[in-house]
Amino acid sequence: MTSQGRLSAPELAEALREHAYLADAGLATVLSVALALRKPLLLEGESGVGKTEAAKALAAVLDTTLIRLQCYEGIDVSHALYDWNYARQMLYIRTLEAADAAVPGAVADVFGPDFIVRRPLLEAIDGDHQRPPVLLIDEIDRADDEFEAFLLELLSDFQVTIPEVGTIRARERPIVVLTSNRTRELHDALRRRCLFHWIGYPSIQREVEIVRAQLPDAPARLAAEVAQFVADLRTAGLEKTPGVAETLDWVQALCSLGEDALTPQAAATTLGAVLKSHEDLEHVHEDGIEQRVQRAKAAAPATDG
Amino acid sequence: MDDAEQRGGLIIAGVAQLGRALREAGAPVGPSRIQDAVEALGCVALMNRDEVYWALRCTLTSRHEDIEAFDAAFRRLVEQPSPADDIDLNPGANPKPETTPPPEAPAQPQDSALGETELQEPDRDEEPEQVEAGMRWSAVERLRELDFAHYTDEELQRAARLMQRVARAVPLRRSRRYRSAAEGRAVDTRRTLRQAMRTGGYPLARQWRAPRLKPRRLVFVVDVSGSMQPYARAMIMFLQASVRAGRRVEAFTLGTRLTRVTRELEARDPDRALRAATRVVRDWAGGTRIGENLHALNERWGRMGITRGAVVVIVSDGWERGEIASLVTEMQRLQRAAHTVVWVNPLAGEPGYEPLAQGMAASLPYIDRFLPGHNLRSFETLAEVFEALPAGRRTQPPGRRTQPPGRTQPFR
Repeated sequence: MTSQGRLSAPELAEALREHAYLADAGLATVLSVALALRKPLLLEGESGVGKTEAAKALAAVLDTTLIRLQCYEGIDVSHALYDWNYARQMLYIRTLEAADAAVPGAVADVFGPDFIVRRPLLEAIDGDHQRPPVLLIDEIDRADDEFEAFLLELLSDFQVTIPEVGTIRARERPIVVLTSNRTRELHDALRRRCLFHWIGYPSIQREVEIVRAQLPDAPARLAAEVAQFVADLRTAGLEKTPGVAETLDWVQALCSLGEDALTPQAAATTLGAVLKSHEDLEHVHEDGIEQRVQRAKAAAPATDG
Repeated sequence: MDDAEQRGGLIIAGVAQLGRALREAGAPVGPSRIQDAVEALGCVALMNRDEVYWALRCTLTSRHEDIEAFDAAFRRLVEQPSPADDIDLNPGANPKPETTPPPEAPAQPQDSALGETELQEPDRDEEPEQVEAGMRWSAVERLRELDFAHYTDEELQRAARLMQRVARAVPLRRSRRYRSAAEGRAVDTRRTLRQAMRTGGYPLARQWRAPRLKPRRLVFVVDVSGSMQPYARAMIMFLQASVRAGRRVEAFTLGTRLTRVTRELEARDPDRALRAATRVVRDWAGGTRIGENLHALNERWGRMGITRGAVVVIVSDGWERGEIASLVTEMQRLQRAAHTVVWVNPLAGEPGYEPLAQGMAASLPYIDRFLPGHNLRSFETLAEVFEALPAGRRTQPPGRRTQPPGRTQPFR
């Protein structure tokens, strides 16, 4: 491991900022440690706090490819690792037949590298990359136990075995980021192989900064008031607590209406960008949007814009 | 040189101390984590306390619940507050304290005899007759029909053995994984092509795939308020038998507040589970705030996906002390998340029972199956209901039923 190429935590935070991702000291330190130790990093947190974005920004900073594997129930080797290109295999067999050509080793060919469909995990291990790619295994909690067990093996050795081809080992370990929304308890063995970081909701000031970084055209006052409003919503005991992604959506929605500050009317018409369930909308309407807007306007952090 | 060595020793001692504190708090910290932590310290600025904190935290903790213990230990080590400046509003974040019964939990007098109950690991090949060996048939029959409220402790013990048979029943769901099958709707391309190799590349026989069936999650919510006491005991024994039979069951008790007792059920000691479950303050003779409890279930556990697609079984007499309106809201929410909502009411076993308790009447439109639960026979019915549930989607979409579910009576 070369030490001169290593990024210290403040350097990494700065580099991420250049790619419009604002990482706090905690996340920046953890990412830099993960890079240095070459260990997979497990990011947990509520939905919409920027877990996936962190991996994307990291790939951008390192100027490398991001390989994303979205997990879901029932995901298996043929979706995650490799599959055979059956249509091509058939075609090849037929072509040989039509040409009446008895090519020696034809059978070996059919189950050779040419006929493999490469899925994200194989791409991450055996791809043709200049630098080690960032492998994002997104929402691992959605996959089932069987897949987790398979992943475990991969994460410890970074090698896979394809029976017909042989064992393939990663020349350079990819940088692995796993995310989880905690819809399911992950296996201890998987946790043991990873560094762990919990991403909480950002503080108000940071959230305003995030909005400003992501949406540079948004008026400063609007950003501050919306961030304050959403922060208040997070303590209101809603069914689905809005994340940073929702804040961004909302600011964007209000911007598209040409608003430069939060008003009760505009808030009422665009609240669907933040609250995604009927009960939550009702709950907030009962409380009175006007009061909430007034409170947010009063409490919003001062802006220089 | 000497100085650096000394400092290194101090660091390792500090990390080891943190590891020990975390282990004591129940966090799994092995030697490899300690090693990672020391290595991580090598790549941050040691003079920067925040960086040290984050480097240690990401290597030594592995779950959100451990962070609190880590913060406390770290604070003790450096005697300064932690630098976590993020606001953490995660409402369902800390499920741990609820599941551990406080050591001072008083033993319930009626539990004492149960303490000796040794539940046998159920043997799959065993015939029912053998399980019941030692009991005359008529005694078994009597036990089946006897209301749990009239059980003696000894009878409850014997019932535990009968329960093991019933407890194996489990509802199934279609998994998103496929298995090869003799018949199915989807072609198994891989196997078809492999087969084709034997017939000169012609896929003569098609191979099929069908969804694998997996056990559907079962979530029990058992009312342990005063009037439910004898039934709750029996139900907890039933749950324990289910867990012992290898069934994945989530269990909660409903009392002054919602308590998760899943972990206690995994323990070998049925008494402990029972005590944890009945540790609630029994200041009312009957009734509890069911709506409030269900709110906690939906809010805290539903969000984690525990109720999603599950068969939720509520065991209660439906005696609601709180607001009926909030109970209805929570029942609706529960029904939308769950695959099937079953309500087991011990009182429904009485001849001529009408759901007069307000909470019961209000909940009825959002229930898919309504069963009595006063004796062993009704547990058998519950098992039959589980096995008859469809593996695919629910038969009726969620929503208010115009025709409330008929009572499923025990088969005679």
